[in-house]
Amino acid sequence: MPPRRLEPGYHDGESDSDVDIFDDFGASAKSKGKGKGKAIDRGKKEKGKGTSKEQPYAWEASYTRSWDTVQEDEAGSLQGAVEDLIARGRRRRLLAPAAAIRRTIIRHLILLLDLSSAMMDRDMRPTRFDLMLQYAREFVTEWFDQNPLGQIGVVGMRAGIGERLGEMTGNPQEVLKAISERHKLEPTGEPSLQNAIDMARSSTSHLPTHSSREILIIFGSLTTCDPGNIHETLAECVKDRIRISVVALAAEMKICRELCDKTGGQFGVALNEGHFKDLLFELIPPPAQRATAPNARGGATAPADLMMMGFPTRLPDTSPPSLCVCHSKLKSEGFLCPRCGAKVCDVPTDCDICGLMIVSSPHLARSYHHLFPVKTYQAVTDLDDTPNPSSSCHGCARPFKNAPQQMAGSSGEGMSPLGRYRCPDCHNDFCPECDVFVHDVVHCCPGCGK
Amino acid sequence: MDRASHLSVVVDLSPNHWYLSSTRTQQNARPLSLKSFLSQLLVFLNSHIACKDENTLAVFGALPGRSVMLHSSTNESSGNPFEMADADTYRPFKILDAEVMQTIARHVETLGPSDIKKPVELVGALSKSLCYINRITTASSTQSNEQTAALDPRILILSVSPDQSSSYIPIMNSIFAAQKLKVTIDICKVYGSESVFLQQAAHLTGGSYLHLERADALLQYLTMSFLPPPSIRQLLSVPTQDKIDFRAACFCHKRIVDIGFVCSVCLSIFCQPVPVCSTCRTKFPIKTLQRLNAARPTVATPATTPTVQTALSLPSSNSIKGTNVNGSQSTVQNGSR
Ligand SMILES: [Zn+2]
Ligand SMILES: [Zn+2]
Ligand SMILES: [Zn+2]
Ligand SMILES: [Zn+2]
Ligand SMILES: [Zn+2]
Ligand SMILES: [Zn+2]
Repeated sequence: MPPRRLEPGYHDGESDSDVDIFDDFGASAKSKGKGKGKAIDRGKKEKGKGTSKEQPYAWEASYTRSWDTVQEDEAGSLQGAVEDLIARGRRRRLLAPAAAIRRTIIRHLILLLDLSSAMMDRDMRPTRFDLMLQYAREFVTEWFDQNPLGQIGVVGMRAGIGERLGEMTGNPQEVLKAISERHKLEPTGEPSLQNAIDMARSSTSHLPTHSSREILIIFGSLTTCDPGNIHETLAECVKDRIRISVVALAAEMKICRELCDKTGGQFGVALNEGHFKDLLFELIPPPAQRATAPNARGGATAPADLMMMGFPTRLPDTSPPSLCVCHSKLKSEGFLCPRCGAKVCDVPTDCDICGLMIVSSPHLARSYHHLFPVKTYQAVTDLDDTPNPSSSCHGCARPFKNAPQQMAGSSGEGMSPLGRYRCPDCHNDFCPECDVFVHDVVHCCPGCGK
Repeated sequence: MDRASHLSVVVDLSPNHWYLSSTRTQQNARPLSLKSFLSQLLVFLNSHIACKDENTLAVFGALPGRSVMLHSSTNESSGNPFEMADADTYRPFKILDAEVMQTIARHVETLGPSDIKKPVELVGALSKSLCYINRITTASSTQSNEQTAALDPRILILSVSPDQSSSYIPIMNSIFAAQKLKVTIDICKVYGSESVFLQQAAHLTGGSYLHLERADALLQYLTMSFLPPPSIRQLLSVPTQDKIDFRAACFCHKRIVDIGFVCSVCLSIFCQPVPVCSTCRTKFPIKTLQRLNAARPTVATPATTPTVQTALSLPSSNSIKGTNVNGSQSTVQNGSR
């Protein structure tokens, strides 16, 4: 059982875990040794950061009850704790860049799952393997919600080879099906990063240049048994502009960090269950493309291009049946290609007759809020400058408090004592709930409709 | 089926289009005036709150350049000025009717001549109704009261004005928000051409879209199709859309296009190949432009595309499709994005 954090003092005691490591895989075993050294400083560095990372490692944490984390104020209400949460959300938004940034919207992701015997470790409940499957399902659902034009393929690595579990597809159901059958994914043997990455790379080779190619590796092992030099594979990935991100469940391995650094991906070691999910979900929003300059690190910035797309007409279930061009099946429902009038079963797809890329406009529209976010509302601290303050929230018509309220705890910063948040464009006031709701869900200001 | 349900009604109060709706013309053989519309609407609203005591209601008005809440059953209007004892009327009906009518009258009076030209704030009214539903659903879930927890919220939009292409993105954002809140959006198009955006709203949230063939029978349509909450509608045969248009508006002219050119970085839609993306300033390769210009359909002007549409659509809607294009182009000048 490989330990995941390696304190200097703890280092000696881990030799038992090295017994099962094959030393004959020169490069990888060496890189593993180095990786451990790095993991130490990283573990220390991370400890000081954000709240989820302040928790101890999963196995050394005492049992926490969820109700302990919520605190009542003197009056016995939870209001203070809730406001704290809201305040944190607000501050996070204030830190985010306000200007429209370029993002990679059309993404192609290969999910590389470690199915080696190391995944049967129980340091994450119930096992690393079960937790990974559960989070992977949530990840896929959320990923397609935010990247409706994206596609995901699934590759597993076990018994020294890469195994294609699901073809690259834009249909969330198919991806979920590929990772739903637990008994087919039973972990066994050693993982091979090189074999798996090569397999993932081959399935992205046909993609158009303007789409991103990404590999997300969930890696629980501390070893990799590769047939050749993995650095050659890495060089190929850099050349193909494939971005590799790794979420490690054990410790940091040097080769994993190198894969991420050289390809512009993200690397993280999960400390506990919650942090594992955080690391995974951080990779869901479309990655921002930095500036217009090409990525200096030889990273995975796809060149911009103009694409011709067709917006189809959907035929209802009640229309007379006709043959679809994709499966030659007789059915009523379908989408009509706007250029050639051919009927396809599902969008987004490429028309089988004229090759036009067919998307439904809601698919495109789902991504717009990433590009045109609602302006952050300003907290109103006093009403002296306002000639006619409105008596109720402009969104939900909830009446405002009249007297300023003492802010609970440390949450005062960025919060309005009056519970009013003002849109910089239309100067309407909103209550805290609407402020959060408008920015996180609606993405459209009820006052100015922007 | 015994649960309380919440209904938010968004009423399009565009003076221009209500005037058109009330004038008898060749296409508009059965005119419907705003007055008659409102009286039928009030009967429908009354029947909603009469169906079940716990049913809640909120009414929003979309006026040119502004959106207002006309009535909500949770906001007990303190010191109700409309309160007149009337032995013949159920009190909640009276309050509702008086409040809706007086708020509309108050806001219409303050409309200046410059306001009339502005498009109606449908987006504002829609997002307000979402905020309101968010408010009552979160409030009921914290109360953990079983009766209010199952609200089954829905929004009914009564629309008379055509799509404003400039509001495409906010409307779509509102639709996705409604999907997240599990709110059904029903559309009743009382007057005017088919609305592409609202068709999508109904389709994506599982609501029904109804284009009135006989506007004078409004009340019948409303009670037959929109009174039963979505949970009951599964047992009924409510009208479904025969055909949904998934076309989008281009960002450069706000024209509705069916073949567009899309920037791979920001997904802006253009109706013709452009060298530089006007949204994100990305320059596109010359080679792509040449290739796309060559591959463009020979008659790519959007005005001709509805001929494809009409050939495939039902004969009765031919005339409507024709007016659709004119209607959407007349709103081009407004909107900056
Ligand atoms: Zn087919
Ligand atoms: Zn085609
Ligand atoms: Zn509010
Ligand atoms: Zn605003
Ligand atoms: Zn255009
Ligand atoms: Zn662009």
